Amino acid sequence: MGYTLVYTQVLEFLPYLIKGAWISLQIAILAFSGGMFFGLILATIRTFGNNISNKIVICYVTFFTNTPQLVQIYFLFFALPEFGILLSPYIAVLLGMTLNAAAYLCEIQRAGFLSIRQNELDAAKTLNFSLMQQVKYVILPHIMKVLFPPLSNHYIIMTLGTSMAAIFGVEELTGRAFNINSETFRSVEIFSITALIYIVITFIATFLLAVIGRYFFKAKIRIIQ
Amino acid sequence: MPQIEIKSANAFYDKLHVLKNIELSVDRGEIVSLIGPSGSGKSSLLKMLVGLLIPKSGDVYLNKTLVNFNNQSDLRVIREQIAIVFQQYNLFQNMNVLKNVSIAPTKIQKRNPKEVNDQALFLLEKVGLKDKLESYPDELSGGQQQRVAIARALCLNPEILLLDEITSALDPELVKEVLDSIRLLAAEGMTMLIVSHEMSFVREVSSRVVFMDDGSIIEVNNPKNIFESPKEKRTLDFVGKILKDK
Repeated sequence: MGYTLVYTQVLEFLPYLIKGAWISLQIAILAFSGGMFFGLILATIRTFGNNISNKIVICYVTFFTNTPQLVQIYFLFFALPEFGILLSPYIAVLLGMTLNAAAYLCEIQRAGFLSIRQNELDAAKTLNFSLMQQVKYVILPHIMKVLFPPLSNHYIIMTLGTSMAAIFGVEELTGRAFNINSETFRSVEIFSITALIYIVITFIATFLLAVIGRYFFKAKIRIIQ
Repeated sequence: MPQIEIKSANAFYDKLHVLKNIELSVDRGEIVSLIGPSGSGKSSLLKMLVGLLIPKSGDVYLNKTLVNFNNQSDLRVIREQIAIVFQQYNLFQNMNVLKNVSIAPTKIQKRNPKEVNDQALFLLEKVGLKDKLESYPDELSGGQQQRVAIARALCLNPEILLLDEITSALDPELVKEVLDSIRLLAAEGMTMLIVSHEMSFVREVSSRVVFMDDGSIIEVNNPKNIFESPKEKRTLDFVGKILKDK
């Protein structure tokens, strides 16, 4: 193999790549937050709703967890204009990832609802806790402890999933790596550095989430794997 | 003067009629034990007294005052005076032992935290758990958890204590340490309603024993009579069977 590694040329593009990483991070955080919010509504309906609303949520979750996310975003980007709805690449990706996340986060949060222990609530009632006090002292600490690890996992998966945005021309980390590649053809250097940046992002996120989970919510997470 | 008076109370779980025309009065300082087969309504009767099971008809008086179970402020009043210890302990898993005992007095009753802390330490020492203050429930044995639950109930300074089969989830060697804690309370004159399958304990501590079957009270008698010469045939069958098994 006569390939000589030359990193100097690519390192000039490092600030450009890091700005791209920031956009990746934005998409991940926004889509995750939106998915959490929408997923919480779905999980609430699924837990406390009636038969019909339940079925609607089940259909939604089944659809979004059984079709590829890429197809979902393609639909938003290429099919919706046929109905007169034109989305920018960034919005299409963000919306697609949010809708997809809502389905998964609905199921995770629903598991949290189901894990609330009725006998602790009975005890809280007989100790004269009001509903808000039950939520504050018993329900939330328990749910956060149970849910924090799977939610963190899903956030990491979503961070990596943002690379799909490159396909639609969003200039996030992967998109920018692709741009530099077509200019310099230094594929090995560019994509190895890109991979390294992803590793740094997810390691930092994993570490921060583990610290938050362990010390604020007493979740059973090891900080150093 | 009766501290608790229950008059023809009926209660249901969905369609299941679990309490049928219950008539019972308990005087201050009395220790009344409820015995009977599983599903006879003993636990349901205790749950009704703390408002976890709302009676469909009948009246309950606490210190001569009629309780309206559909009124939140009435529920608060009865729950301030009546504390319950559950069969499954029902401790808060996310709080350590000290916090389990002190949270309701400080956050709900809004008492002075320092005073509550002193009382919690005193009670935990009394039940032999002074060295477990920082432990979480899942780090304790069943007997230890049950004694935390007793301390939690007592820290509310209740007038009446309800004990719902507090030894039935415990290993035989752990039963004694829990019953010893109850004997101490009995000696101090606390009003208690005890659901138990520990017949020798029931006989030893009770002022009166109530035999229940199929949601009804069949017989109320003193402990000697209920075990030696019950009035009702169903009591005799139950007591005879239990004593023979022992």
